[in-house]
Amino acid sequence: MSEQAFRFGRAQHLVGIAGLPEQPRDAVGVIVLNAGLVHHVGPFRQTVDMTRRLNTLGYPTLRFDLSTIGDSGASGESQTRVQQICADVDDAMVLLGKQAGCRRFVLVGLCAGAEKAHQVARDRTSHHKLGGAVFLDGFAYRTLGFKLRHYLPRLFDARRWGRWLSRKRREIADGDAPSFSVAPLPQDVVSEDFSSMVERGLKICMIYTGGINMFFNHRRQFRECFGPAMNHPAVCTRYSEEIDHTYVLVDDRRRLIEQVETWLCSNFPITHAGVLP
Amino acid sequence: MTRHESELPFFFGNGGELFGIYHPAGRKADRAVLLCAPLGQDHIRCHRLYRQLATTLAGEGLPVLRFDYYGCGDSAGASGEVEWGRCLHDVVSAAQELRRRSGVPDIVAFGARLGGPIALAAAQPAGFTDVLAWDPVIDGAAYVTRLDEMQEALLQDTRRFVRPRGQGESQGQWLGFEVNPTLRRQIAELRPPWGMRPSLVLDTLGATAPDWRELGIDASHVRVIEPATPWDDLARLEAAIISHPLLQAVSAHVHRVHA
Repeated sequence: MSEQAFRFGRAQHLVGIAGLPEQPRDAVGVIVLNAGLVHHVGPFRQTVDMTRRLNTLGYPTLRFDLSTIGDSGASGESQTRVQQICADVDDAMVLLGKQAGCRRFVLVGLCAGAEKAHQVARDRTSHHKLGGAVFLDGFAYRTLGFKLRHYLPRLFDARRWGRWLSRKRREIADGDAPSFSVAPLPQDVVSEDFSSMVERGLKICMIYTGGINMFFNHRRQFRECFGPAMNHPAVCTRYSEEIDHTYVLVDDRRRLIEQVETWLCSNFPITHAGVLP
Repeated sequence: MTRHESELPFFFGNGGELFGIYHPAGRKADRAVLLCAPLGQDHIRCHRLYRQLATTLAGEGLPVLRFDYYGCGDSAGASGEVEWGRCLHDVVSAAQELRRRSGVPDIVAFGARLGGPIALAAAQPAGFTDVLAWDPVIDGAAYVTRLDEMQEALLQDTRRFVRPRGQGESQGQWLGFEVNPTLRRQIAELRPPWGMRPSLVLDTLGATAPDWRELGIDASHVRVIEPATPWDDLARLEAAIISHPLLQAVSAHVHRVHA
């Protein structure tokens, strides 16, 4: 196995590290996207550990920075952020295809990275190149089930009511602060996207943690949020309440990497041509 | 060619184990700058600032190399394999690489937090002409105690975990990174003097700043910059550290002192 550093992309503006196993050359390529604004090594170097582990199993990988994040620059094009993300991922696929001979790819994204992977996967033609995606703490919506699980135990807790009231008082005193956040895709759109992805043959792995417990608090919530697509055999869901959003503990990261590895090996097994059982 | 196109990522050093990005100056320079990263989470939090600093200095005519020590960032090795002596060795390799690529013999080093003592301790073997240190760690024992306290607080932090995690679940770890006992001991033993005295200490520690005279310098070599950097704030453990005044101070000092 070797790692090589590349400057690549349509404007030579992207920087990434490709992990290139010696054999075989027909494996699915794994591309890991930025988790928020953290550069391509990932939170606590998680992406480095994950890609190197996958390399030892024979999967070529690319961890890279999208336009204007980490070590990558801007492409200089006039595009929406979604167009830019899709074009950057396409550039990443071209690079890994050239370097490792991959024709099919799996995207991995945590948090904002999962959102970006979703933006790529929801494209109606994504299945031509994309075999699957791993969404780590991706889209989540407060369902009725979430609210019951979240608020009922708190209903008779006087301290929580006190904190809520003081927060509300602060908010009223602060007035309307301008908000610059990007609105997430609506729940019905995301739900429809997942149905479309599985219909088009994409394999999906969703691993969520207690780190997003203000939006997601039970494994049943996958189905509550995204409907029957979550029961499709192509969809694998995991929920680990005790783990935080960025996997700050070493053993939690190991567990995550094992889960991704197990899912990859069962959905995209590597064929070792010429090797006798 | 745009500036970012000329920034070259590559592996170097013995067996190509070290990752670096070279920022060429675009014109003939009489000195180059080596950016020595801090360790652990400070490294990830400072990544953006290091890139901005490299781009700024290169734009002003100084070739710059930023790189990752063995076991850090994109360099080979696991996080649990980071070791002080190896970091110093990597600085020497990086200085050689910077000289080879830039053709400039005079190198000024910059280091934040643990990157400061690493640059100072490696100054002689690496042949630095000068070192600038940003909030350098000068009391290793106190630093180890502080990281232990923060690690303990992190496990109890219910903004991070639904329920507090047990102490046994993070043995040998500091804020997301595995730390081997050797490195822990080496950091605990850190204390100046090192191979060189910094020509400038950039102090963003506010009221918690130590007595910088321990580095063998007087107040004229210390530049206090506000606001204070929240190095030890668990709530901002994953927030990038950005400081425009710091970039300006480093750039101005490098140009003034070495003009």
